[in-house]
Amino acid sequence: MATIHEQIDELLAADLHGELSATERDALHAHLVECANCRQAFQEQKNMHKLLNETLADQKADTGFEQRMVSRFRDRVPQRTGLFNMISNLLRVRAVQLTALAALLLALAQMGAMITGESTVGPTVSARGEFENTQPRAALARAKSDANGRSFAAAARPQSAPSSGMVAQEPPPPPPPAQDKANTPVEGLRQLPSFVGSASTQNDSAATSEPAAQGPLDQTTPGPAANRKLVRNATAELEVISFEEAVQKITGFAAEDKGYVATSNSQKQANGKLSGEVVVKVLPEHLDRFLQKLRGIGELKNQALTTEDVTKAYFDTESRLKNARLMEQRLMEILKTKSKDVADLLKVEKELGRVREEIEKMQGELKFMDSQVQFATVTIQLSEKNMNLPAAFLLRERARLALYAGEVEKTYNEIKALASPKVQITNAQINRDNAGRVSATMNLLIAPEESEAVIARVKSMARVENFQVQTDRVAQGGGEGISESAKTERDKVELAITISREEQEQALQQTTLRIRTAEVTDRTKELRDLADKQGGRIRSSSFSRDPNGREAANVSLRVPMKNYNALMQSLNGLGKVENVSVHREDRIGSQINEADAPADITIQVYSQGNIVSEETGIIATLRRTIGQGAAALMSSVRMIGVALAFLAPWVLAIVGVGWVMRRIKRARAARKQRAEEVGGAS
Amino acid sequence: MDSAEHATYRAAIHGDRDAFEMIIRSSSRHLFAIAYGILQNREEAEDVVQDTLVKAWKSRWRVRDPEKFPAWLSTIARHRARDVARRRRPELLPHDLESAESVANEGADFDQEVHAALAQLPELHRVAVTLRYFEELDYATIESTLGVTNGALRGILGRALGLMRKRLKPALASVT
Repeated sequence: MATIHEQIDELLAADLHGELSATERDALHAHLVECANCRQAFQEQKNMHKLLNETLADQKADTGFEQRMVSRFRDRVPQRTGLFNMISNLLRVRAVQLTALAALLLALAQMGAMITGESTVGPTVSARGEFENTQPRAALARAKSDANGRSFAAAARPQSAPSSGMVAQEPPPPPPPAQDKANTPVEGLRQLPSFVGSASTQNDSAATSEPAAQGPLDQTTPGPAANRKLVRNATAELEVISFEEAVQKITGFAAEDKGYVATSNSQKQANGKLSGEVVVKVLPEHLDRFLQKLRGIGELKNQALTTEDVTKAYFDTESRLKNARLMEQRLMEILKTKSKDVADLLKVEKELGRVREEIEKMQGELKFMDSQVQFATVTIQLSEKNMNLPAAFLLRERARLALYAGEVEKTYNEIKALASPKVQITNAQINRDNAGRVSATMNLLIAPEESEAVIARVKSMARVENFQVQTDRVAQGGGEGISESAKTERDKVELAITISREEQEQALQQTTLRIRTAEVTDRTKELRDLADKQGGRIRSSSFSRDPNGREAANVSLRVPMKNYNALMQSLNGLGKVENVSVHREDRIGSQINEADAPADITIQVYSQGNIVSEETGIIATLRRTIGQGAAALMSSVRMIGVALAFLAPWVLAIVGVGWVMRRIKRARAARKQRAEEVGGAS
Repeated sequence: MDSAEHATYRAAIHGDRDAFEMIIRSSSRHLFAIAYGILQNREEAEDVVQDTLVKAWKSRWRVRDPEKFPAWLSTIARHRARDVARRRRPELLPHDLESAESVANEGADFDQEVHAALAQLPELHRVAVTLRYFEELDYATIESTLGVTNGALRGILGRALGLMRKRLKPALASVT
């Protein structure tokens, strides 16, 4: 077995260590029987094994080794507090690390948002706002439905309030049992007039709901309420075709219902329309029928019905009257029988007078109440149709004129000279600001027949930038409307003028161009001459020369549009014209005269300077490259700086916390050691 | 590795000191054997085991798989022992070689000879030998501790013993 022989060392070792399988061991021992060398080796190996066991056995760790290891480990790695330990252990779990990182980022983002004052929670806030809004609405809806429900219950009783909205404010007492009906209405009625009064003035909708309320009223009047004293009032507003006719009809209706017209008044307006008020008294039981009839007269615009219960006041007064009568009789008796002392007599007489006065007053009150109760008062407002038709129209013209003048003051004085009885200057002022700019505003009032002529003259004095006329047709003796018969008259014309200096006018067209030439100074002079010839004015000019010998002159001038083309062509003679750009702005709504409108031209006359610019060549390129490289470097340095500025506070904070922790730990260890030393010493 | 051991390692990784102390009790002897195999000095070996345990505790969370915990421990111990050995090598190495020769010739002290022979083996071989003869560990445990396969371990141990046998031949002859 060659393999065994070759692997003899391995097999012998494994055999001695008891790690051979049964078949391997058999094979090995079979081989040992055959092979003397291997037998020899086996013997030696056995000795070797024994030797190793002997020599190494006393080198191995002693019995207290583990305990020693553990206790030293405890010394070297002190137990941390539970919480810190837990946190530090937690931080070693990957999921926790990720969560913590995310939380940190979120916190940073939040902090940033807080610092910059942005709102990241906007949507949720607004959503909550909406939610809050919806609640009161829902509550309101609930209240409404409640009110409707209750108002139904309330409608079952007589004299119920017609408006549900009013009831919602002050929830009515729960619907009373049927047998209490006779008593409760009195109580309910006391607060009713205020309801009806305010609710009924509203409009048709309130009016339409009234028949429902009147229904039960009619049923109750002949019943248990027969001895109740009710004051009923109604108001109605009607639009009729003819006032007189309407009054006739109303008088007729009143007579039919055993009533009468109490008062009636009317007034005529500028446009010949009549309006007025009729007060009719009718019997309360006929009131509803009367109101129905009223609707036939014209268009009912408004109607209100109020009922006031004066029962309690009436009977109070009545009983007080009864008492007063008894008192009177007693006093009379005293006067008749025990009239001895004159002073007493006078006293009694005086008292009697007072009581009688009271009786009369109460009687008057009762009579008034009776009359009030006996007849219902209906107040009818009547007005004829088309009350607001105008009687005449006035045409009022207002003109606004904006002018540009070369000399503002001269134009101002010229306009002032126009003053005459038919041309009145109501306001004139001239302003000069810090920069010496002059402007003027004037207000003129011109008789209608003169207006066209005056405006034309003013327009000819200076250049018109803008002219606007506004005409108002003002109705007189009524509101808006179309009336075929109304006349139209012209009123005085108001003219507002503003005068500004031409300088302030914005150019209609702006041109910029460059002229290249060798002699800048000479060409600029020529340019000024050319501009003068074409009626242009130099607005600003500048001259500069740089170290490379390049010269540049900037001239900005203004010419009238009509000379613009001529000037532009003459410029070609000065040098090479480059970079021409024209910008034109047509002002909408301006009635400017285009030929006279100003055009601005900005010209740069420049020379090339040195033939070989310093901007080309190897050196320049190199310099530029280095410069750009330096700039790039600086910008990256700046970025690093920004990054550091962002990170440094965090890093510092973390380091600081770590430092403090270590200090604490050391202090604790030192204290422990001291304690041990003290313990050992004792 | 059975499930109880597995749970212990897992707990230790997650910071359970008691579990870690259990591990110290169960494996510090193995670690000592490894360190001794490299250093052949008991004091130094003990220090190495100490350092290894502290270091393992501090960086326990680096081990994601509890299965690999013993092998990881022994790796730390081997690195640590190697560091220690490297630091003192200049003084000791010549002495070792010299003594090996002289002791073999004299045939006087077996302990010296055995140690000298051991010192001349490659590191892994020495560690395998000490693990086997200190703690009588079976091959499977040694394999998992050193992270080698069965065949490799057999080869290592066989070669180690073979080499030592040849070196100690004269001395062995006198052993009865």
